[in-house]
Amino acid sequence: MKLALIFVIGVGMFVAMQRAAAQGSMTVQTSVQAGSAFSIQTSGSGEATLYVIGLGQVLKRSVQLGNPVYFEAGSLCDAGHYLVVLEQSSTVETKPLDVMAVSAPGRLSFLAKPSRLPVSVHEGITGAAYVFDSYGNLIVSPMSVSFQLSNSAGSVQKSDVTTHAGAAWIEMDSTGHQGIDQFVAQAGGISSTRVIRQVPGDPCALKMSAQQTGPKLELKTEPVVDCSGNPALDGTIVTFTETYDGGQSTADVPLKHGIAEVAMPAHHGATITVASGVVLGNQIREQ
Amino acid sequence: MKRGALLAFVLIAATVAFIVIGTVWPISTAVAFAGGERLLESSSTPEAAARNLGQEIRLKDWGKAYSSLANRSKFTEQEFVEDVTGYYPSLRTYSSLDHFEIRPLHASDSDADVEFTLDWSTVVGTLPDTRTVHVVRNGDHWEVDWPMQKKPVLPPQVIPVEYLRWDVINRGPGDDWGVQDVDGPNVRIVDMHPVQRAEGVVVLGELLNEDVLPAYVSVTATLHRKDQSAIGTESAFDRISHLLLPKQVTPFLIQFPNASLSEVSSIRMEPFSTLVSASADPVIEIDNEQLNPAPDAALTGQLINQSGQVVNVAHVLGTLYDKSGNLVWVVDQYVDRALLPQTPVSFKIPIPEDLAKKVSSQRTVVATYSFGGFL
Amino acid sequence: MDNTEPIDPLQRPIPVILCLMVAAVVHVPLLLMKLPLKSFDTNFHIFFASHYFHHWFDPWNTKCFAGFSQATYPPLSHQWVAAISPIFGFDYAYMVVQLASILLLVVGVYRFSLLWTNARAASLAAVASVFVGAESFLVYHAGQLATTSAAPIYLNALPFLYAWLRYGNGRAFVKGSLLFITAAAVHHATLIFGSVLFAAPVLALAFLDRTDGRRAATGKVLARAVAIGLLVGVAVAIVLLPYWIALIHYPITQTPIPHESRANYILSPEYGLTYFIVPWGALILALPFIFLHGSENVKLRPLLFGFWVAFLLGLGGTTPVGSILLGRAFKVLTMERFSYWATLLALPFVGILAAKLIRRFRLAAVAGLMVLATLTCALAVAWSSIEPPDPDNYSVDPVASWLNRDGHDQYRYFTLGFGNKISRLAMMTDASSVDGEWNSGRLLPELMQYSGAALTSSKYFGTGGLDALRAILKHADRYGLKWVFVRDHYYDALLSYAGWRPVDYLEDKTIVIWSKDGVPPAQPVNAPQRPPHWQGLMWGTLPFGSSILAILVLLLIPERRRQHAEAGLHVTPDQGVAARSLAS
Repeated sequence: MKLALIFVIGVGMFVAMQRAAAQGSMTVQTSVQAGSAFSIQTSGSGEATLYVIGLGQVLKRSVQLGNPVYFEAGSLCDAGHYLVVLEQSSTVETKPLDVMAVSAPGRLSFLAKPSRLPVSVHEGITGAAYVFDSYGNLIVSPMSVSFQLSNSAGSVQKSDVTTHAGAAWIEMDSTGHQGIDQFVAQAGGISSTRVIRQVPGDPCALKMSAQQTGPKLELKTEPVVDCSGNPALDGTIVTFTETYDGGQSTADVPLKHGIAEVAMPAHHGATITVASGVVLGNQIREQ
Repeated sequence: MKRGALLAFVLIAATVAFIVIGTVWPISTAVAFAGGERLLESSSTPEAAARNLGQEIRLKDWGKAYSSLANRSKFTEQEFVEDVTGYYPSLRTYSSLDHFEIRPLHASDSDADVEFTLDWSTVVGTLPDTRTVHVVRNGDHWEVDWPMQKKPVLPPQVIPVEYLRWDVINRGPGDDWGVQDVDGPNVRIVDMHPVQRAEGVVVLGELLNEDVLPAYVSVTATLHRKDQSAIGTESAFDRISHLLLPKQVTPFLIQFPNASLSEVSSIRMEPFSTLVSASADPVIEIDNEQLNPAPDAALTGQLINQSGQVVNVAHVLGTLYDKSGNLVWVVDQYVDRALLPQTPVSFKIPIPEDLAKKVSSQRTVVATYSFGGFL
Repeated sequence: MDNTEPIDPLQRPIPVILCLMVAAVVHVPLLLMKLPLKSFDTNFHIFFASHYFHHWFDPWNTKCFAGFSQATYPPLSHQWVAAISPIFGFDYAYMVVQLASILLLVVGVYRFSLLWTNARAASLAAVASVFVGAESFLVYHAGQLATTSAAPIYLNALPFLYAWLRYGNGRAFVKGSLLFITAAAVHHATLIFGSVLFAAPVLALAFLDRTDGRRAATGKVLARAVAIGLLVGVAVAIVLLPYWIALIHYPITQTPIPHESRANYILSPEYGLTYFIVPWGALILALPFIFLHGSENVKLRPLLFGFWVAFLLGLGGTTPVGSILLGRAFKVLTMERFSYWATLLALPFVGILAAKLIRRFRLAAVAGLMVLATLTCALAVAWSSIEPPDPDNYSVDPVASWLNRDGHDQYRYFTLGFGNKISRLAMMTDASSVDGEWNSGRLLPELMQYSGAALTSSKYFGTGGLDALRAILKHADRYGLKWVFVRDHYYDALLSYAGWRPVDYLEDKTIVIWSKDGVPPAQPVNAPQRPPHWQGLMWGTLPFGSSILAILVLLLIPERRRQHAEAGLHVTPDQGVAARSLAS
């Protein structure tokens, strides 16, 4: 009787072990680096299907249980949280897998604003850099980004910023000199350059002179500059206004070669003013 | 006469009668197609002669109009046509006479003066042209002595031109995200002032291009009630200079017909600007600007084209301020004559009578357009 | 009325089948050449048809006026074009429907004339209908498919009306009613005005004839008239219910638009040429006879009065009659349709005159009449080339393909200087326009409050047209209006000062595309005016169904020999075959 019982128990255990072996299981690393080769070890016997499912990518393999499944380099490129699913005829086993971005930067997205601004504006320039690996995954681990703003006059502003959640940003001042500035962001040997155009500010100390030629009065500004001494750009409108007894004459004249000039009718006792935008210049009274 | 023949006679007679009535006293639609508010009549009075001339101009019957003039021997028909329609392409060239009015000024047995107001329908609106014409008696009828305006003749000359122009190359659609584009121009509303008028709410203001590049600009305003619901959204349309060169200022006027300022709790202003290709020329000088008081309050002056190219259409925008420098109103007018180099062209922009007393100073800008200046 | 057969071939009626062949010989080549495509309205009708092809049960069309209801225009002719377009394509489908109308007119004129005269004169009237100037003018110059389709159906209904009124013939009642309903589904105005100009003379004739042969009491005739009037009225109200609902909810309150047909043709002879000389042609020579003969013959007097009223209305602003009789409708309707109806009412007289002339002058009269008829028809056909509605021959294909690419169709557009090609363009593009040709369908206040028609031709409507143009440009943002295609540089200054910029060229720089910056993409507008789904089902079912039913009834319920006579078909041996074949 005892022998019979032992036999029955033994047979039952054997069948249970066989079934357990046939169900199989897998061993998955908790994380792998994007683009790297990796493997998933399976156990048991029989055939199954393995899925690696992520937001942007799905891999499918037919596997022989008991053998490892190899994924060659470049199989999984998109960083993120994946689900590994081993599906057999009657059971399904799932395990998580995190694909991490490569720690070395491969590309830098650099947004620089504005593309154009007046000189001497405090914190007028904004730069934001996003660091990506070579597969285009945002590197969220802290990393140092170096920002450098240099102008043609040789002045350089430089600052290192550590990324937060993959981004680093900075505000910088525009310099006192107009011209094309190079704005460079650099991280781990990768750099990206943007161009910031610093343009003259509002005209400063706008001055004109007048010379009578027959019935006409030739009005001419001195070279128009901003308060930092940068010549105003051609095309900037300068308004000449001549006020005389009961009347007024005006002309909106664009700067050419830094100077605005116009011939207006001469009126005895007229007052002539010059302005550009909201900036007023000198005043002349005609004798 | 048989009854049948009588019926035929009655029907035919009635038909003829209807046609005669319809022709002698035409209905309004027929008159409109025939070319006038009234049909041609005998030039037995000075007014009738002027009215007939107006009808002929309206119908563009130049031959008839020319041959009806008393002083036709002094100029050719072509010169007469050019005097009316413009020597150079302009708004007037492409306009039609919408209607006209005759106002007798003085009359004697042999001559008379009448004020001839011609309202030209142009693509930008109706533009009036007022001329005082002399009418003389010639036998049993009257003829108009047409006041020819001298054709401007320019002395041969060379006007040196330094073309200053901006061109814009925008980023292509295939460029990656993050690749830098050129920012739009910085513009700023430097003044804004809502007023209640009989026709509704009007929002006035001035817009400055603060940038160093030319800007295409427009301004949109939305009126809100206290509960923040929108009363309406309107834009400045053509009461603004849409092209602003660096540091240039334009007035704007936005109309909200049938709206009431008492309903308005807040106004949202949305200036819009974008980079456009532009030229700094031509330069238009505004000479002899004057604020004429009421009655007949108006802003007058002369436009002088300082450049060497012909400007076909000019739009004058006047910003009116009170003694404190506050914005009172914005007036505008299209000039229906081409601006030739160095040739003054007058303008007269009426100012609303009720506002004229408040106006102390003004600022005038000119927007120009030349035919064929595309892309 | 003579039922005997003359031996002389110049005295015998012309078989109707021969009349139809003449019509085919004259008009088939012209239609194969697609000549109507040059006309004012043909592209507009094809545009409507194309909408029904794609959205049979939804009359809401978003391609024009930023959205409008096609239930504002009776749909039947357009639905027939749409129905056969898979076989012929839209252009030829239009031509087929137009040809069917022309052939139906021949039959209709013959049957209508038989009410007033003998078979000989009626057959000559049928031949004359092929050459009548007003028909060719409307087909090839005006492109009025609905008018030229409704009138023949109406004419074919009138003999049934007579048979019902005079004899109480039940079959005639059914057939006449169905044809009236079908005519209304093609063109409601034809039914409304036809009731006065065509049906009233037939009613009067039935009263005059009530004592001839089978006597009928006046009360009976009147009762029958009321019965058919009520039935047709109720049926038309149901079949065109979405139209009436649209009319009641959104009455035509827009400012009247000028039309040259309302001019005085003496004070404006150029319009007299177009709207009197061309449509009437040699029929002008017959006017004295019409008045004299119509007055002398008591039974023809109702027809004469109908003709006279239509004739006076067709003179537009030449007389004050139109303005007095029609009131505000005078400023909404175009008058050339009255001339068309007047010429149809004149045809029985023309048949009588032709018969008399041929009897008297034999072959010389035949030759003379043929020459006059040919010249009349030729002038009307040629008028579309002499005074073309759209003189410029160019293709709108590049504009359509520009709109259909790169997301340009997210915004609305309109054209300037495109004439009557805007419907063709609307048919070809996916984009929505704020402009269109069907003025009564307009719902945008900017378009309705000024006396301008299509924006594309603004300058031709003077201050009213330009005011409408400025109003719509002012509200470009509201309608997502971003593109203006310009073929006429007259408008350049306005666009420039209103803040628009040229951004592209097409067709060797003859078309400039202007754009406005900062305009948001187009959103649906006029949503409350959109007919509900049940109306769309009615619109797609009842009008077309009524025409199918009319065809089935005409085919399946044959006329009895006596009914032919009652219906005005006075059967003679040589025409019996034709009459039977046409009636069956």
